[in-house]
Amino acid sequence: MSTRTTPAVGRSQLRFRDRIWTGLGGLGSRPARTLLTALGIAIGIASMVAVVGISASSKADILAELDELGTNLLQVRPGSSFIGESSKLPPDANVMLGAIPTVESTSGIAEVNADVNRSIHDETPNGVKALTTDGSLDDALQLETASGRFIDENTQDLPVVVLGAVAAERLAIDSIEGGPTVAIAGRVFQVIGIMKSHPLHPDLDRSVFLGHNYAQTELGIDANHTAIYLRVQPTLLEATRPLLARTANPVDPNEVEVSRPSDALEAQAKVDQNLQNLLLALGGVALLVGGVGIANIMVIAVIERRSEIGLRRALGATRGHIRSQFVIEAAALSTLGGTLGVALGVTATWVYANNQGWTVAVPSEALAAGVAVALVIGALAGLYPAAKAARLDPADAVRPTG
Amino acid sequence: MTYPAIELRGVVRSYPGEPPIQALAGVDITIDSGEIVAIVGPSGSGKSTLLNVMGTLDRATEGSVLIDGIDTRSLSERQLCGLRATKLGFVFQSFHLLESSRIIDNVANGLIYQGIDHRERNRRALQALDHVGLGDRANTKPPKLSGGQRQRVAIARAIVSEPSLILADEPTGNLDTRTSDDVLALLADLNERIGATIAIITHDSEVAARAPRCIHVRDGLIYQPTAQGSAIS
Repeated sequence: MSTRTTPAVGRSQLRFRDRIWTGLGGLGSRPARTLLTALGIAIGIASMVAVVGISASSKADILAELDELGTNLLQVRPGSSFIGESSKLPPDANVMLGAIPTVESTSGIAEVNADVNRSIHDETPNGVKALTTDGSLDDALQLETASGRFIDENTQDLPVVVLGAVAAERLAIDSIEGGPTVAIAGRVFQVIGIMKSHPLHPDLDRSVFLGHNYAQTELGIDANHTAIYLRVQPTLLEATRPLLARTANPVDPNEVEVSRPSDALEAQAKVDQNLQNLLLALGGVALLVGGVGIANIMVIAVIERRSEIGLRRALGATRGHIRSQFVIEAAALSTLGGTLGVALGVTATWVYANNQGWTVAVPSEALAAGVAVALVIGALAGLYPAAKAARLDPADAVRPTG
Repeated sequence: MTYPAIELRGVVRSYPGEPPIQALAGVDITIDSGEIVAIVGPSGSGKSTLLNVMGTLDRATEGSVLIDGIDTRSLSERQLCGLRATKLGFVFQSFHLLESSRIIDNVANGLIYQGIDHRERNRRALQALDHVGLGDRANTKPPKLSGGQRQRVAIARAIVSEPSLILADEPTGNLDTRTSDDVLALLADLNERIGATIAIITHDSEVAARAPRCIHVRDGLIYQPTAQGSAIS
């Protein structure tokens, strides 16, 4: 063998920027195919973003309700006795509960078994029921009047009523101007207030409120409350809760039901979470299908672009350069789909939330994750076709086919 | 010292089988820098394998291939790629242009795997296009070009890296006679003007006849044809 020294060989290298552009180049050459393939990923990402977005918007709505309701509101109701008969709260339950130091306020309601009509001669059924109230039900439940004022200690003992929003509508009274009246159990009551609508308490919207004392003395209803609402010091709520049944009914504490209305909303939020997971899984399947679609198209692209691969190898590309070109192409294709999908998903969320009257709340992480997930899926889908491309024998690849 | 552009010593390329097929059965070729040479042989003569081995797209089973004095046997896969990027230029029968890339980008791609930056690539690509007479078409895309123009672009891509050796594989195979003449004239012209070393691989003896030197290949061997042109080795 000769002893002459071997001159240095230049290295094969591809600049980062060129690496990216080379990868993107394949997309531009077949725009229709690029778009259709990206659509697969777009649908997967869109459905996932929409699921997250819609459920986040719905949750935001529930949380707003929770906030309005307050988590320190407890409701005490009569339960059923041991043998299944419905029981009653003792007449003084309200007072006893109010005596617990951590209870900030109490107010009770009781149902009056009588129709409410426009006048004593009117007997049209309208579904409006009368409820007595004492304490400050409006404070406890954060009820607001649209006009006039709520029953208070000054009006407790007078023949006056306050109308719930729906009740007022059904009785065709829209203002307290001119002193409108209603008839309950053959007696006439003056309307001194009309409530705003309270979506959290639809049953109260359909009710007409009158003083508990008045109803007891003049209408002869019994003194037992059908429900007592308590506001409890928030930090001591869990300590207070077990005391309530025994305090309300020391004789039969088992016949008292204590509940926290906000629990129902929280449960609803949890149900939403489960549904969301299920839908996310479905979106994941769509995404997987999209990924397979990309892998498929890339395999075809590698076959079609055999001569380009051969040319690049002849121009000095290494196997690694070819591999990265096709991985980048697949990832870019998928990222395009992901971006498209995020836009679609946000639009879907926006339309749905507006339809439901919710405020739109799409977590920004979902947007970033949508694009990132698409990128990763694309890169993974590109691995096999890219490896195939890199393995092509350059001498074969430069040869014209057929 | 200067080395020959390419030197093949006892190159054998055999493919496994029973018995093994010898596409090249011991070839010695030396092409000096600045030469223009035709390598001619009928199909099945082994000239395609010869082209692949000369272009380092394929490795010899035995013997050595030196390009610009570099023994390719000692090079790794990666180094071979570097060698192709810097020392070799290819012109193919079917041009191999990227149809959706501008002509200047097609030509600049001849430098991309040397890690040369975009601006420098374009500058040199424009120069190469001037050499082949297409300087004014830099921003056109290949579908707008005739076959002859396409092959000129491919030639510009091959010379842009100023390689030690340009391998032209049937460069006129897809062209009509007149365009073929133009392309061959261009190759001769580039050889003269910028000193490009060119090996034209062809089955067409008319094309081969135009080269100052002609290497005949048959059955995997170099042979000297008799005066009548009949081939008996």
